[in-house]
Amino acid sequence: MSSQDEDGTVEPGHNTAEPSTSSSNENDETTEDIITVTIGATVPTGFEHTAAEEVNEKIGVDARISKDRGRIYFPITTDKLFQVHLLRSVDNLFVVVEEYDHYQFKESKEETLMEMQQLASKLPWTKALEVWKRNGTLKKKKGYRKGGNGIKVKPNSEATDAAVADTEQQELPQAASAAECLTKAENTADMETSTQELEETAPEAKPIKFRVTCNRAGDKHSFSSNEAARDFGGAVQEFFQWKADMTKFDIEVLLNIHNEEMVIGIALTEESLHRRNISHFGPTTLRSTLCYGMLRLCKPQASDIILDPMCGTGAIPLEGAIEFNSSFYVAGDNNDMAVNRTVNNICHIQKRRAIKGSASGLPIDTVRWDLCNLPIRTGSVDIIITDMPFGKRMGSRKKNWDLYPSCLREMARVCTPGSGKAVLLTQDKKCLAKAISRMGGLWRKLHTVWVNVGGLHAGVYLLKRTGAVFGQTPEDVYESRGTVNAEGDEKGDKELS
Amino acid sequence: MKLLTHNMLTSHVKGVTKGYPLLIKATEVKVNEVDFNPQFVTRMIPKLEWSALVHAAEELGQRQDLPDELVPEYENNEEFLKKVHRVLLEVEVIEGCLRCPESGREFPISRGIPNMLLNEDEV
Repeated sequence: MSSQDEDGTVEPGHNTAEPSTSSSNENDETTEDIITVTIGATVPTGFEHTAAEEVNEKIGVDARISKDRGRIYFPITTDKLFQVHLLRSVDNLFVVVEEYDHYQFKESKEETLMEMQQLASKLPWTKALEVWKRNGTLKKKKGYRKGGNGIKVKPNSEATDAAVADTEQQELPQAASAAECLTKAENTADMETSTQELEETAPEAKPIKFRVTCNRAGDKHSFSSNEAARDFGGAVQEFFQWKADMTKFDIEVLLNIHNEEMVIGIALTEESLHRRNISHFGPTTLRSTLCYGMLRLCKPQASDIILDPMCGTGAIPLEGAIEFNSSFYVAGDNNDMAVNRTVNNICHIQKRRAIKGSASGLPIDTVRWDLCNLPIRTGSVDIIITDMPFGKRMGSRKKNWDLYPSCLREMARVCTPGSGKAVLLTQDKKCLAKAISRMGGLWRKLHTVWVNVGGLHAGVYLLKRTGAVFGQTPEDVYESRGTVNAEGDEKGDKELS
Repeated sequence: MKLLTHNMLTSHVKGVTKGYPLLIKATEVKVNEVDFNPQFVTRMIPKLEWSALVHAAEELGQRQDLPDELVPEYENNEEFLKKVHRVLLEVEVIEGCLRCPESGREFPISRGIPNMLLNEDEV
């Protein structure tokens, strides 16, 4: 192990020990230096701009959208670190150790992997590790909510699991030999100090456990993500004298390679944040981050009445009731299990809020209904937001053919003419597009966001309710432009059912 | 079921023309604290069917001297807004039923969820 002084890199073990001795063990943030780092965030593909908007709004910095889809980057100072945990559109967060925009990989696999191993000891780890450490303290202090409340979420990528397994198998023999070369006393002392600082628990020395996760995309690479993770991980282990552990790790090192773009980072989130609100899952529960993205699209205003007529487990209206809480949400479904799960999820959140001492009630209600025959007054809803059956896990393509136009019609009836909006997520894009054009007199397409939901390519359609009075538009005939100016007649159609 | 939701719900049984407002029969009512947002209440009031709200609150014994008609300048009357906030969002019917004023058809409420599904012959 040699010490390198390029770019502020230092010997591992020594510098991680320094901050701990200069500040007391408890949260003495004022005496710690403020450093600026780059944070990376994974977001649902298609909602990168929405996420960047949220970062701008809540943290006040400009985010950069990566060419590698579903990722954004932004700078932050460590005194504002807690703010990243307030972001609702991000699935996972990490602190960037180093970024390469145009990394020139060597021709052969052997050379490339060798270079990666050498890279491990040259990277500027200090700042990133410091941020990781402070983030750990933050989470303990604020009673940071873990995503899912105990529901285990499987890691998304199978490739990364394999990479990690490889790392673990390769590394153990190396660790033994590397440890033998070092002065045992010095090594143990460093590790003791750093682990105490980091874990603030057991008095005995515990080596830091880590794993490396590699995501690789591109067709010109000579190596696989497994191989990169294995070799890079091996070098990291040797450099820091950490112990590789696939499941109970303290530090997760991320190696993201997308064509010529390479980013090395350290994860700041343990479980993905995307299932944060839901404790009672259903067969098609949507990620909360995706729900948030959809809600942001329709820009809920104070006192807006927002309906989800096919709510499933209530993920979308619940996220709305929490994040855009100056509106009122009505979640509805025809299925008995769905409405019960929705109520369970709402109760769960309310209990959590009550424990924290805040007013537990949320602006949301649940009804069991038939969405093609809604028991709702005409023109009384401002926004309709829903996840429409895809025809794969729920419903069927054939059913969608009849369901979609009926839905759109009934949604148009309850929605306020002229100002009403709808945000509809579906994978059956062809069917929905056809239904929208059939209902052209009632709905106008404003914008579409292409997203990825559980591996399926789906679309989020933002629609605007035309000014046309309901009941004057024949369902199957394309409406002429003339009736769009009928906004003044709105009151006349407030007849009740 | 909160009374704000009730204000929007209507009977859609086939042939019924006066299905609003639904009559409430409650066997269990709860009051839950919800954060007060004056802007929300102020903007919501014009969208409501005021008399239906007052009548529903009365049915539940939660009217708390809300007036039959809206007083002018209510936007600045915080006491009034808080009362409206309470009946709109904080009072919840947990068990009971809703009744169509015209057909008499009853829709049960259980665990706070009104079941508005119709039978095939009613659609």
